Amino acid sequence: MATADEARSRTWPSLVSARPRVNRWSALALPAVVFLIAVFLVPLLAMALRSVTDPPGAGLSNYQQFFEQQAYVRVLTNTFWVALLATLTCLVVGYPFAYLMTIVPGRVAGLLLIAVLLPFWSSLLVRTFAWQVLLRDTGVINRFLLDSGFISEPLTLIRTTSGVILGMSHILLPFMVLPMYAVMRRIDPEYSRAAANLGASPLSAFLRIFIPLSLPGVLAGCLLVFVLALGFYITPALLGGLKDQMISQLIVQQITQRLDWGFGSAMSVLLVAITLTFLFVASRAVRLRDLFGSTTEE
Amino acid sequence: MRRSRTVFAFLATSAIVVGCSSGGGGGGSAAPSSEAPAASSPAASESAGASESASAGASAACNPPKQDGVTLSFTSFGGVYQEAQRKAWLTPYTELTGVQFTEDENSSNATIKSQVEAGQVTWDVVDVGNDFGLDVHKDLLEPLDFTLIPKDEMNADLGITDYRVPDITYGVVLAYNTDVLGAGKVPAGWADYFDTAKFPGKRGAWDYSEGGMFEFALMADGVAPKDLYTPTLDLERATKKLDTIKDDIVFWQSGAESQELIGSGEVAMTMIWNGRGWSAKNIDKKPVEIQWNQQIVTADYLVVPKGSPNKDAAMKFIAYASCADVNAGPSQYIPYGPTNTKSTANPAMVNDLSVTNADENSAYFNDAYLGEHFDEIDAAWQAWKGT
Repeated sequence: MATADEARSRTWPSLVSARPRVNRWSALALPAVVFLIAVFLVPLLAMALRSVTDPPGAGLSNYQQFFEQQAYVRVLTNTFWVALLATLTCLVVGYPFAYLMTIVPGRVAGLLLIAVLLPFWSSLLVRTFAWQVLLRDTGVINRFLLDSGFISEPLTLIRTTSGVILGMSHILLPFMVLPMYAVMRRIDPEYSRAAANLGASPLSAFLRIFIPLSLPGVLAGCLLVFVLALGFYITPALLGGLKDQMISQLIVQQITQRLDWGFGSAMSVLLVAITLTFLFVASRAVRLRDLFGSTTEE
Repeated sequence: MRRSRTVFAFLATSAIVVGCSSGGGGGGSAAPSSEAPAASSPAASESAGASESASAGASAACNPPKQDGVTLSFTSFGGVYQEAQRKAWLTPYTELTGVQFTEDENSSNATIKSQVEAGQVTWDVVDVGNDFGLDVHKDLLEPLDFTLIPKDEMNADLGITDYRVPDITYGVVLAYNTDVLGAGKVPAGWADYFDTAKFPGKRGAWDYSEGGMFEFALMADGVAPKDLYTPTLDLERATKKLDTIKDDIVFWQSGAESQELIGSGEVAMTMIWNGRGWSAKNIDKKPVEIQWNQQIVTADYLVVPKGSPNKDAAMKFIAYASCADVNAGPSQYIPYGPTNTKSTANPAMVNDLSVTNADENSAYFNDAYLGEHFDEIDAAWQAWKGT
């Protein structure tokens, strides 16, 4: 076995260095793969099948029913729009934070890491309700501003798209910060110093050296946040207004109240299909390996 | 390098955890007390039985036979609601007959459907909202045994079908916060709900097309309760009325949220289930009052999923819970009323009950109509919300 590897490395060096090492230990992953296929992939396919067979002989009628309703299509586009806005907000807030984590001393970076991870350990529902308490007309922020006399009428902070984005960004921020931080950690500070030596200003070095090197992490973080944001349900329902409905609310209604599982499946399939398309397009730009940590390089 | 691996391990684990909780958070909106959407119809089914056999059935219902060794599954919506049902019906039934109960607190139409379709029915008696148990659901439910269940004693306005019998009544009412509205300002009905000039402030509404908002809008616009669904539910007229206060409407997704909204004064008035209004006033001690005029009286229903392993025992229990002496039991604990017209509710609670306050201005959901026209009604609701 070892000699075969050596022989291969002598004749095809570039191929071997790029190929992930597959050996018998990889078989340990087999139970997990089987589990995922059985519990995740098979139901997904069953649902896709259901979208064209329920009611019997439906064909594409469920999809037709969806696209016929202007209101439903608007909800679908709103879902993607809100997810995009949430991603951008997380990017704008998360990038400086991740950069900060790379330049402060190790202990402080550890504290910042905990600050980012801590929200994970409280329930999503609790966090959303906390935002409600903060943002609503009789909530903490408005009460404070009213009592100190800055305003005379409560500000409309809740039941707006900005309220939804705020809540979603708060919950999704760790998913943006962590991939970016991991990539930024690996950027050798020597590069920036070399740029300075060659006459670049700090800003120029940052823009032309650091940012391009950090792009894989940025794209990975954006991808993760975007895909997660598409499935959000409770946060838009509690913080949003009339126009902020997301498609997951419609799906839940069809499945649990209406019992029209064919139609609900059709909407779910649409959501999954569009998400997978985004993933596919993005995978051309991002090495998905970076998302899960590479083991063969560096 | 090692730290980035740890970071990614964290990320992966956390992603799984949050991913699961986002999914779970999505389901967390079910109301602990009954969360039934639109209910019953004045078009009650005629009871075919002679009055003799009916009264014989009634006494048989109240005196169930001993059934030692039987275990029945009872599923409802949990919280104080299910506790009241437990204390009023389940516990006395166990004492009388020896039947043991296993309870679930997550009643859901979708669960019944998936159990029946998979052929693995574990639920015997299920408390469901008024959107279930209709004739369209006949493939999912066992026809009830009306030789045991005293059908002609039940309130005929509540839309009894072959597959369901109402077990508890409640009202969808107008609740208002007296602090926000000010002393002496009492809304007389739904026309005042839509009058933000006379009663300034936000309005709460259930974000569900068949929750009652269309019906309330029509009543506010002058439609008589008995004409709400004839010939059709006038969606255009209702939408136009709703447009007049569109900017002031705050949607709630669950009973708890509605209770919170009106109690805190976030909204001046709201449509609410009377139990929640009662809780806001008597348990949360908030300045909330209920206007019973023009309420929609509705109910929750008991059904038996098709293929239930203990069908006969389930029928006997449902008969017991429906019989006159027992049916009003939950009103000892919660402001939800009996469905048996011969029942006497708890005197301490009787004024807080929907049925006591029902009059000629009260409306009833036409469940059959709403079930048949859901797609149209929901599309109108979504369209109205989006524009």
